[in-house]
Amino acid sequence: MFTRSIRSKFLLWLAFLLICLLVGFGVTAFELFRTNQNHQIYEQLQRRLSAVAGDISSTTRSRPPGGLNSSNRGRAHHHPKNTSETDPATCETNQPNPSVTNQTESLEPRRRRIPHDHFDDFSPPQKPGESPTFSEGNEFGPPENNQPNEMGEPDFGSNRSRPEPPALKLSAEVLDLFDQSNPKSFYFAVWSPLGRDRLRSSNAPVELEIVSPVVRAGGPQVRTYGDYFESYLHHVNGYRILVGRSIAPELAARRHFVLWLVAAGTIILVAGLCGSWWLAGRALRPVQKISAAASRISAGNLSERIDVAETDNELGQLATTLNSTFSRLESAFEQQKQFTADASHELRTPLAVMISEAQTTLARPRNESEYRETVEACLTTAQQMRKLTESLLELARYDSGQENIRRTPFDLADLTGDAAGLLKSLAAERNVRIETDLSAAPTTGDADRIRQVIINLISNAIYYNKSEGRVRVSSRHTTGEAIVVVEDNGMGIAAEDLPNIFKRFYRADKARSRASGNSGLGLAICKAIVDAHGGQLTVTSKPGEGTTFTLTLPAPTNT
Amino acid sequence: MRILVVEDEPRLLHNLAKALREEGYAVDTAENGEDGLFKAETYNYDAVVLDIMLPQLDGWGMLERLRKHKKTPVLMLTARDAHTDRVRGLDSGADDYLVKPFDLGELLARVRALIRRAAGQSRSNLQIGDVAIDTRNRTVTLAGQPVTLTAREYAILEYLALHRGEVVTRTDLYEHLFDESDDTLSNLLDVHIFSIRKKLGADLITTRRGQGYCIES
Repeated sequence: MFTRSIRSKFLLWLAFLLICLLVGFGVTAFELFRTNQNHQIYEQLQRRLSAVAGDISSTTRSRPPGGLNSSNRGRAHHHPKNTSETDPATCETNQPNPSVTNQTESLEPRRRRIPHDHFDDFSPPQKPGESPTFSEGNEFGPPENNQPNEMGEPDFGSNRSRPEPPALKLSAEVLDLFDQSNPKSFYFAVWSPLGRDRLRSSNAPVELEIVSPVVRAGGPQVRTYGDYFESYLHHVNGYRILVGRSIAPELAARRHFVLWLVAAGTIILVAGLCGSWWLAGRALRPVQKISAAASRISAGNLSERIDVAETDNELGQLATTLNSTFSRLESAFEQQKQFTADASHELRTPLAVMISEAQTTLARPRNESEYRETVEACLTTAQQMRKLTESLLELARYDSGQENIRRTPFDLADLTGDAAGLLKSLAAERNVRIETDLSAAPTTGDADRIRQVIINLISNAIYYNKSEGRVRVSSRHTTGEAIVVVEDNGMGIAAEDLPNIFKRFYRADKARSRASGNSGLGLAICKAIVDAHGGQLTVTSKPGEGTTFTLTLPAPTNT
Repeated sequence: MRILVVEDEPRLLHNLAKALREEGYAVDTAENGEDGLFKAETYNYDAVVLDIMLPQLDGWGMLERLRKHKKTPVLMLTARDAHTDRVRGLDSGADDYLVKPFDLGELLARVRALIRRAAGQSRSNLQIGDVAIDTRNRTVTLAGQPVTLTAREYAILEYLALHRGEVVTRTDLYEHLFDESDDTLSNLLDVHIFSIRKKLGADLITTRRGQGYCIES
């Protein structure tokens, strides 16, 4: 039921489209937001990573540890200033040293075995005073102790007695990049080639994992775990440098953004649906009005019309069209009603005559001649009724389109001549002269019917003429048309009657028609016949001067 | 009683006139509205039987114009039977309405009722002393004994009885009892009065010399 209403269907489709649109938009916005966030973090991390790497490089370059130069790692860096770490992997790999590259050296594809921590044993003694804020990893930590020193204390491996590698130290500018008092801020960690913690900011997370020694192509790598986002690189001289940051604020912002998106989307969806429900209702209201008006009309109130308030939109046009249809229907209906009433009236009058004639005669004893007179009157009236009913039936057949016109070729001139001949005696009786001017006018159709029309026209011309009057009948043909003109110089037809004379039961002069026994259907039947033939019957008249009827029939094209 | 019939169907007009005349009415006829209006305004008819669909001036128009001067009872007679037509007919001043085809007996009864009501009588039996007049059957009894009157005698008696207590002039009597086709001499009226007096008693109708006749109430 609900889904059958146009309004609901419209709304469901709209909801579907709106949801698709909102989801697409929301996903895109979220992705953009996330990418932007990641990009920012990445940029920040890269800046710090390169700074740290620069420091590391300068440290290791400026004081290369004795006996162990950085070249054995195949990596060289800018030199961090103070500490240097020996590269313990000399015994393990022996690769060329690109010497003067920065941290992007990690681009260089290299595979390293995971160094074993005892190669790191010669890390230099720590200098705790210089950088108390970060732990200085000792390269000689115990092999089982790969974990960073939480407290930032120097972690001297007690089980080793090898010389310590030089302490790493970051410059103040670099350290400024890390707010180590803030656990949410950036942190860093540096591991020696053997995996020892060498440097670690105090705010680094406890569970920080050592960077895998496997070097991957593509520059600094990133990784996330938990709320942390980290970037690391493998320094040329084997150090693994990591810079990270808690992205909890970003994640919170992201969640907030998602919530905001969902809320906004919901509001837009609800508002859109409400608005379109209202709009659809508003748009469909004229339809309801039209429907209501149409049902009132179908209930029998044919004079009802649809209120055409807005004629400039589609529904207004529809309403106007419907209204004009209703008007035509109403007028057709009225015409039919009028016709029925008239027919009923025309039949009632002869009935009244017959009944009152019979009752009057039967009221008292009569002589034979009186009875005869009554019976004759009844017979005449009955004949009149028969004629009327036949005419009505004929009209009804034409109305319903059941009357088939037999199309046989004939000449209107012959037909007109016949008709004029038939009516000669009537004309003489009325002292009217018939003139004929007939030239060939071939056409096709039902000759009997057309003769009926012509007889009707000529007898009308005789009836409504004056004494010593004249009726002129002519036929001719033009291209595609056969024409008969019946012209009289009689009384003529008043202008106000002229448009009505083809209407059923219309009588311009009622007294005369009734007296002559005419039903008022003659011309209506003529018109129906001519219409059925696809022809035209027209009239012009001037009161006091005469009337001209013109019958035009389509002529066959081959003549 | 004198009645005007206005009807455009000649056969029906002829028949109605015949039936009414046989009922003892004087009947004038008109075939169109103009003629009917002229006659209705010229003479004081006791009733008018009026068709609606008339040439020249239809029944509505004729009635409307007639009602400006006359209160003549009018029975409308028409083939139009829509109730709106009946209502319109009665509202425009018709006293009764009859739809074609009608029963002749009903028409005559309605005409009788119209005339009776117009004269201020509501019963169809008139009693004057020993004389009883049955207007329905057009019979007269004297002390219970039927008395045979000619149609004209009955018409004069009925008219005087309907206007009891009034002096009815000879002109009135002529106008109401003879139609335009009658060619009667004035002294014929005296003959009829004499005949009535002979049959029903000399006291019934008094003569007001120089004025007319009267049945005392």
